[in-house]
Amino acid sequence: MPLPIPAPPDPKAMVVATEDWVEYRTGFPTLVRRFLFRSVPPTGWFHTLGSSLLTVFILQATTGMLLAMSYDPSPTGAYESIRYITDTQTLGWLIRGMHKWGASVMVILLFLHIGRTFFYGAYKYPREMTWLTGSIIFLSVMGMGLTGYLLVWDQRAYWASVVAVNINGTAPVLGPFISKFLLAGPVFGAQTISRFYALHMLMIPGLIGAMIFVHMWLVVKLGVTPWPGRPASVEDER
Amino acid sequence: MADSPAGSHAHAHTAPGAMSSAVTRSQFLSLSTVGLGAMIGAVIGVPATAYLLAPVFDEVQFEEAVLGPVSSFPADPNGQFKPKAATFVEDKSLPETSATLAWVYNTGKSNSDWLASDAQFIVFSNRCMHLGCPVAASLTGFACPCHGGQYDKRGVRTAGPPIRPLDRFQWKIEDDNLVVTQRWSVDYVDGKLTYYPVKMPGQPVNVPGPEVVQEHVPDILYPNVTYEHGAVPKPQ
Repeated sequence: MPLPIPAPPDPKAMVVATEDWVEYRTGFPTLVRRFLFRSVPPTGWFHTLGSSLLTVFILQATTGMLLAMSYDPSPTGAYESIRYITDTQTLGWLIRGMHKWGASVMVILLFLHIGRTFFYGAYKYPREMTWLTGSIIFLSVMGMGLTGYLLVWDQRAYWASVVAVNINGTAPVLGPFISKFLLAGPVFGAQTISRFYALHMLMIPGLIGAMIFVHMWLVVKLGVTPWPGRPASVEDER
Repeated sequence: MADSPAGSHAHAHTAPGAMSSAVTRSQFLSLSTVGLGAMIGAVIGVPATAYLLAPVFDEVQFEEAVLGPVSSFPADPNGQFKPKAATFVEDKSLPETSATLAWVYNTGKSNSDWLASDAQFIVFSNRCMHLGCPVAASLTGFACPCHGGQYDKRGVRTAGPPIRPLDRFQWKIEDDNLVVTQRWSVDYVDGKLTYYPVKMPGQPVNVPGPEVVQEHVPDILYPNVTYEHGAVPKPQ
């Protein structure tokens, strides 16, 4: 009696089996499905600003990590290392350009996103915490702009940072302490650039990442804000 | 738990025979976890915070710096206001970042006492008192490129956002060299130029705050010794 020929594997069944395997062990497929396939009210292009920001954040994080591999946060080496990245390294000009322009794009998108949230009334009950976590992200991104600007370490970067630190210094009571905290001392020094570097690539991005997680958790939990005003069905009855 | 009185949920986990006020095993473990966590947090957090904030309380000591031979700062033969730029390093441990520039104005007089009304030099700091950009000298005084601050020949603001006159350096002549010995923040009080411990740009001289310089301060200068270089600036 001939041996039975095994049936060829069914690709679809294999996918299902794999997903079941992952689902049973991690639960991620359910997580992803609940995140991506949830009900939302009628939305428009203005609702894409948040995910655009997430995309730009990922861009900034990725290009930032690449730049950090060649950057030297010291008064003697910073400018030269940036020149090396821009002029010598393969595609260094592109990675640095993406990081530089991405920074501006992020700030612009952030303001548009804040404006959308404000004019839709999306900061109101029950989404107050989404607004507040967004505010922390906003201030953190401003901090990224401040600390990143110095790292180029050319004349413009240096004097712009001197001005920015001195603006902080004019705040009442705490001002002088804030400026010395930023400078890591009473004057601009070698400690300043490494402090800005650590703030720029470790502390603030970590804070932003954590806050993005909370922010998105709240968006999913509370749902997307619909257009302000009555639902269309109510308008129809009038 | 069957013998627990109905409604006494707070003590539902109390072991039979234990006193009702005693801490249960799970409460004890919860408290221990929180307490131990707080201790670990403090062990990590306190040194980290101190490390991070320590620079806030640092103070800079001004070190004497030679600007150059006196002969390299001649008075202008036509009596015009042409201060000479002199670079020096303020903090010798940080030469890359603390290079700075003083504007040395030879008044054409000869008194080597820096506080005399006929002092030979006035040594201005080039740090704009708006937000710290470097000012450039011109025939009429000083001008800042960043936000348009203007100063007259005494370093007194004439236009723009600076809030007080340019800092000045105390100086002496040693072995025929012009030496700066101290930086001072200055302001006019009752028409007299008054010297104060250094404040950062944008900060008034007379508000409380961390004082950057306290060393090398002869008593006679601090806080209210005054002298005149010129007339009272008009109120802006």
